[in-house]
Amino acid sequence: MMERRWLTNIPWSMSGLAVGIAIIGLFAVYSATFTSQGPSSLYYKQLLWIAAGIVVMFLAIIPDYHTIGRFAYSLYIVSIVLLVLVMVVGRAGMGAQRWLSLGPIAFQPSELAKLAVVLALARYFAEDPRQSYGLTDLAKPAILVMIPLVLVLRQPDLGTALMLLLAASIVIVIAGLRIQALMVVCIVAATLAASVVLVPPVKGKVWNSLKPYQQKRIKAFLNPESDPLGSGYHAHQSKIAVGSGRITGKGFLQGTQSQLAFLPERHTDFIFSVIAEEHGLFGTGFMLFLYLALLLLGIETAKNAKDKLGALMAGGIVAMLALYVFINIGMTVGVAPVVGVPLPLASYGGTSIITTFLAIGLLSNIQMRRYMLFY
Amino acid sequence: MDRRGRVLIVFVVMALGFGLVAARLVDLQILKGDELAARAERQQQRVVKLKPKRGTIYDRMGRELAVSLDVDSVFGVPSLVGNPRRLARRLARILDKDPRPLERKLSSDRHFVWLSRKVAPVVTRKIKNLGTREVGLLVESRRFYPQKNLAGTAIGFTGIDNEGLEGVELSYDSVLRGTSGWVLAEKDAVGRTVFPGGPAFQYRLSKQGKDIVLTIDSVIQHIVEKELDAALERSQAKSGIGLVMDPRTGEVLALTVRSGAKGRAAFNPNTPLRSRPAEWRNRAITDAFEPGSIFKPILAAAALEEKLVSPQEQFDCSEGRIHVGGRVIRDASPHGTLTFIDVISDSSNVGTIQVGLRLGTKRFYRYIRDFGFGSKTGVDLPGEIGGLVKDYPQWNEMSLGAISIGQAIGVTPIQMVQAFSALANGGTLMKPYIVSEVIDGNSGRGKKFKPQPVRRVISKGTHKKLNTILQHVILTGTGMKAKPVGYTAAGKTGTAQKIDPKTAAYSPRDYMSSFIGYAPAENPRLVILVTLDSPRGVVLGGMVAAPVFKAVAEKSLAYLQVPPDDVGGTMLLVAK
Repeated sequence: MMERRWLTNIPWSMSGLAVGIAIIGLFAVYSATFTSQGPSSLYYKQLLWIAAGIVVMFLAIIPDYHTIGRFAYSLYIVSIVLLVLVMVVGRAGMGAQRWLSLGPIAFQPSELAKLAVVLALARYFAEDPRQSYGLTDLAKPAILVMIPLVLVLRQPDLGTALMLLLAASIVIVIAGLRIQALMVVCIVAATLAASVVLVPPVKGKVWNSLKPYQQKRIKAFLNPESDPLGSGYHAHQSKIAVGSGRITGKGFLQGTQSQLAFLPERHTDFIFSVIAEEHGLFGTGFMLFLYLALLLLGIETAKNAKDKLGALMAGGIVAMLALYVFINIGMTVGVAPVVGVPLPLASYGGTSIITTFLAIGLLSNIQMRRYMLFY
Repeated sequence: MDRRGRVLIVFVVMALGFGLVAARLVDLQILKGDELAARAERQQQRVVKLKPKRGTIYDRMGRELAVSLDVDSVFGVPSLVGNPRRLARRLARILDKDPRPLERKLSSDRHFVWLSRKVAPVVTRKIKNLGTREVGLLVESRRFYPQKNLAGTAIGFTGIDNEGLEGVELSYDSVLRGTSGWVLAEKDAVGRTVFPGGPAFQYRLSKQGKDIVLTIDSVIQHIVEKELDAALERSQAKSGIGLVMDPRTGEVLALTVRSGAKGRAAFNPNTPLRSRPAEWRNRAITDAFEPGSIFKPILAAAALEEKLVSPQEQFDCSEGRIHVGGRVIRDASPHGTLTFIDVISDSSNVGTIQVGLRLGTKRFYRYIRDFGFGSKTGVDLPGEIGGLVKDYPQWNEMSLGAISIGQAIGVTPIQMVQAFSALANGGTLMKPYIVSEVIDGNSGRGKKFKPQPVRRVISKGTHKKLNTILQHVILTGTGMKAKPVGYTAAGKTGTAQKIDPKTAAYSPRDYMSSFIGYAPAENPRLVILVTLDSPRGVVLGGMVAAPVFKAVAEKSLAYLQVPPDDVGGTMLLVAK
């Protein structure tokens, strides 16, 4: 009896949407990695990752989220240890050291770290009886964020670091940052940004601290046509792929931009361009709709959560997902710089798939227990 | 502000972000879509497309009407060419072409240029003997129509890239075409040199197009073409159309459009450029004409269905003319008093118009539209028009009189045949079609198209009465030359004055002479329409077009092994 009630309480629409997006992504990975000899092994690997992710998602529904909250700091510490480990023994790839090898599997600790930070922040604020915070109250949470942030920046992984910072900021805003304090932060950030761009000595210093490939990417974003065959290549080819799909698309496996390898990183960061090229505006519109529906369910969860812990966990997770979706799609269509973040649930990659399913599981967990009295 | 309010702020920011992305997608995929698609093509020019083999077109008995054969095409690799001038001169001799454009192509900065497409086997041999990597051969397929001009206008033809340009080749282009493949010829996206056989060698094989089976029967088609050509020769008409349909299903069994101009060969899809573009058009569906008397059975069917007239009813036609709406319409010669049967079988305009006035504008208009006039039949051929039928509020009394005898209305031959099929099959309008099956040559699976009834237009009882009347046309009336030996038949003659485009009045000299009918009269298997445009000398449809009907009906029914139902010429008794 208990068992059945428990099952009917699972928010199936949320998990269903997540699985649906993952399956569409799987087809896109199939197409993006298709070779003359047939489907590549990456497709089968992704299939396994999705299956594993679904299991993780349901596992994350079973315990009460308060129980999970109790492990938030432990998870945070584990992820910091992993990030340090990556610096020492990590595997390098594409000019950065981001992966840990666990036997045949490569693992990306920064993906886990961002979830851990959100959970740790949620627990911190949930246990704090105050309802609103000024800037001076934020010293501890700031340290909580800065440690992994610096570690990720050192890899270097500017994209993930940026995501981490933004997702953490949103959790703090939801937790109750005073409007005045928020204004001050915005003004300071704007002044800093302006001085980086406008004041030559500061500009030079910040600019020189960036790696050459980061400089190129920023240049390419600000002026995409300056070097279409070099640093602007990704963005340029992606825009061609997306646009040439037009309304109805070129058809499954018919996307010439991706099949002829003009589109770089097509099974990972640019998977959305593959969908756009092969399925046109119909495909992209449908994908946007699915993500929007999923995120709306998440926002609903954050809004109606039973307590502060639930609201903050849900809010942080939704913010993180929304940022990833926006930045990733944004970079494929040229409204965001190419910072190398995956499209949640769709891009190829084990760590990203499993972390995202874990996050959706937590959301469902909070959604499901919004009326239940457990203690 | 409480927690929920803060969550809402996050939501608003997120919605703005999504809105921005959605707007950008619309911008890229709709507004800039064509431009970016062109860019994609441009940068992929190093890619050689593999053209798929186009599907075969068969007639209903599986005889090949259009096939694709493998032929060689010659290409050059300018990036490998050392001395373009010398090579161009040598190639010019082999290809029988001007060396200058060849030289220009060979000195371009492309990696691949076509030098000559679809060449003869002897050229292939000579190119192979050159023994250089600067030029090469690629197998392409070329469309070939083994039956030459048979059913040419219906089949249509293809262009140099095997794209359908006319006829079934056009309307079923996406089915026949298949999917193209490609090979990376020289360099891939990152500029790596790609050698065939290497691990980075990328290719996708093309997928053969599907085959289609027409409803056309080559034998009946051949009979129609032969008889129509003979009639064009005899009558010196400008052009003619022959159309045969199975009235039970709406299948087009034969469709021919012929020019009668002296010395002009019939349209042959193997050499479309030898015909004028006007001769490519399938005028059986793209052009409307004033049907004249062959339209009278439509009026008769409507009047009988509305029970406004009975076959034996007497009509006074003795004056030989009738005034309608300020216009005088005459009979060819005064007839006296006629039964309704004779009004139709002797094709009396005076009698017919009396019936038309009785039926009235609104009802007649409804029947005309029900029989399919004024709207496209939906036949699966390109370029069909719906003809010209004035909306009934715009009809005046003169229109009613004129339309009763098939003037002031524009119909296409296919509409005429569709309507007559309904008269023949007992009253059901069938949608005409010319492709009966699409077959996937790889899997052997196919899709069959079934006959599609559109609506019932007249009752069985009306059909019976009209059937008797239309048999009389052939037994005692204007269509006696249409009587096939051994078979009963029913039909109607037409001799319509043509409008002279110069004077915008009816021409005293040019007529559209026609015959439409079906056989055998009971259980009809064929509806046959014959029109001859502007014959010289004898112009009557009953004299020039009816004999074509007779010959086509006799030969086709014999070919179809339909048992003769009128062996001793006793049709008259059967009719009664």
